[in-house]
Amino acid sequence: MDEATDQTRPNVWLREFQAILQGAVGGFLFGIPSLYTVEVWSIGEATTPRWLLLVLTVTLVGVGLLTQVEGFRQTLSLHPLEAFLETIEAVAIGTVCATLALVLLCRITLDTPLSEALGKVVFETVPFSLGVALARSTLQGNRGRDRRTTAPISRRLSSFSRVNLRDALVDFDAALIGAVLIAFSIAPTEEVPLLASSLPPLWLLLILAASLGLSYAIVFASGFADRAERRQRGLLFSPITETLVAYLVALLASVVMLVLFQQLNPSDPWSEWLSDVLVLGLPASIGGAAGRILI
Amino acid sequence: MESPNYPDGPPDSATHNESQDRLTQRSAAEWVTFTVAALILLGLVGLIFFDWQTNQNRPPAFAVAVSEAVRVTDGRYYVPFAITNTGGRIARMVQVTAELDIAGVDEETGEQQIDFLSGHETKAGSFVFTHDPQVGDLVVRVASYRLP
Repeated sequence: MDEATDQTRPNVWLREFQAILQGAVGGFLFGIPSLYTVEVWSIGEATTPRWLLLVLTVTLVGVGLLTQVEGFRQTLSLHPLEAFLETIEAVAIGTVCATLALVLLCRITLDTPLSEALGKVVFETVPFSLGVALARSTLQGNRGRDRRTTAPISRRLSSFSRVNLRDALVDFDAALIGAVLIAFSIAPTEEVPLLASSLPPLWLLLILAASLGLSYAIVFASGFADRAERRQRGLLFSPITETLVAYLVALLASVVMLVLFQQLNPSDPWSEWLSDVLVLGLPASIGGAAGRILI
Repeated sequence: MESPNYPDGPPDSATHNESQDRLTQRSAAEWVTFTVAALILLGLVGLIFFDWQTNQNRPPAFAVAVSEAVRVTDGRYYVPFAITNTGGRIARMVQVTAELDIAGVDEETGEQQIDFLSGHETKAGSFVFTHDPQVGDLVVRVASYRLP
């Protein structure tokens, strides 16, 4: 036992260091667009601690779901507890990277008040942590295509719901990731309500049609994607169904992002919700389609 | 899947066994990562709670300090000022106005809007007048602000 440990020790530490480094690089790839978005900082500055905790919780849940099928370590089979631990690690790596980047760009200096610094760090942590959780598949191209499997916690949980959840995650995590990657740095900007408020009536239908059409065209009509390979990976929906469901995923992601950035709140009229979400849904669905091809 | 680089040659059987036993065993390195990561996140959450407790119950309040060191360039008088939010919560669109009243001359005014002023944050700027502010009566005050 001791002999074995001695032999593996350098590998274990080096491998761990490599995994963390890969996670950090993935975080930067994902986090840079929103790092250069003024609104993310200013919304972060003005956000109350209670809301920051909510954002952090949503990030943990999102990264937790991603870790079920992705992750920054090479491990392909994972105990649920390990997935939980890796979630914590991914968010922490994201936090550290986001903080370093903000310091590098002088968005956080010694003069920055604590509440401002916390707000900026928490909001920038969201894309950085998602990037960390995706590091394995984004940085390794084809080799990273294999999805993870998590061993069930117990027999009871291994039944229907868990398996279904995993399948759905495998099918739509790429769409969700692409949507978040593109739309996360758009959601906080003033352009969304500006565009939404200047649209003529019924124009939203055109935007909806364009979102669906572009999403369909990118994935299925362009011939980028190898259908056989996609089918092998478990994408068994018909093209139309997949486009529709991916669009709903993009819209859902848009709602969550707009609410997290406090662009929408319950006191806003429902028509504003509708138009903002559909306007952000356009870039989100394009991102989702690109994600389904690339990831 | 194996790690891409093995400086000590291909993984030996011990490594292989270890990865088979992963359900129960994480490597020491992974535990170190987890410990540090958990500490970082707990620290972050702790700081957010600390901020919540110390700052959020105190509404914005302002202190404006006008510097005595007036600079004169091309016949204009530059009066530096610094505004501090002495409260805890952030204020937006803080409007600072300056009124210079000199007997026998029209009143001169200056306005400055500050986008964000967090609790305990200080921001500085200058008002520019065409008359010497030290001769007259200069009043600098915060006129209004918005809550985020």
